[in-house]
Amino acid sequence: MRDSLTRRTFLKSSALALAALAASAGTAAASPLLRGPDNEPDEDVKTVLRERFGTRPIREGHVTLDVPDVAPDSREVPLLIESDLPMTADDYVKGFHIIVDHNPDIYLAGFNFTSAIGAATLDTRIKMRRSSHIRIIAETSKGELWSTSRFVYTSLNGCV
Amino acid sequence: MRDDIGQGKIILPAKISRNAVINIRALLSHPMLTGMSRDQAGIPIPAWFVKEVEVTYGGDRVASFEWTSGISRDPFVGFSLRASKEAPLTVTWKDNKGGIFTHSADVKFTTTTAEATR
Repeated sequence: MRDSLTRRTFLKSSALALAALAASAGTAAASPLLRGPDNEPDEDVKTVLRERFGTRPIREGHVTLDVPDVAPDSREVPLLIESDLPMTADDYVKGFHIIVDHNPDIYLAGFNFTSAIGAATLDTRIKMRRSSHIRIIAETSKGELWSTSRFVYTSLNGCV
Repeated sequence: MRDDIGQGKIILPAKISRNAVINIRALLSHPMLTGMSRDQAGIPIPAWFVKEVEVTYGGDRVASFEWTSGISRDPFVGFSLRASKEAPLTVTWKDNKGGIFTHSADVKFTTTTAEATR
């Protein structure tokens, strides 16, 4: 009897904790929990970046990623990528690169543009194996690299 | 096996004026299999996914995409285009098994607002 009471109390308190967690997920994008682990890429990610971009510096800024903090379905995580970099005939965003640290293919996709598209925007849906940083790198026609990253929590396993 | 593979569409805005930057949406029916899953009998399902996408506008290549199987099933992509001319916009998807799928839509100016206000 005493045991079952303890168990009930435990379940109740864990349910409350979960509710609090869900509430914080819904409201505070900047909550420490949702900021996720350290933003520093691991060795595998660094290797991919080196293979793609050599020793060129990757700076933060000029590209934004809109993605849910918690992906309800990790088989279809919607991404919206935009950049405020110029889009003129001789200075334009040549491409966006999508890197997902903990996916089987770390380099998930590349999108190459010409100045004819007029604006650097991209909207697509990706799979995530598990909670991970998503890194977006914008590459300009002059060879500059600008980036942003977000940590996204996933629920269901995404690799089908 | 699904029988709609390769079907797709290109969605353009309803109204397009000359030189406006418009949003293009391209959809393809494709399983985008990673090769890491198994069927009910435990037999691995081979990878089958779109690797390359090419976008041409009036015959000129304006964008190209390099994909892995990390793009979701029935791949969707939205991007911008400056509507500089009345011409077909064509998207070609190529998968790792040699499948080539092409869909296009005609960019046509419905208003002359941009010119009238100039």
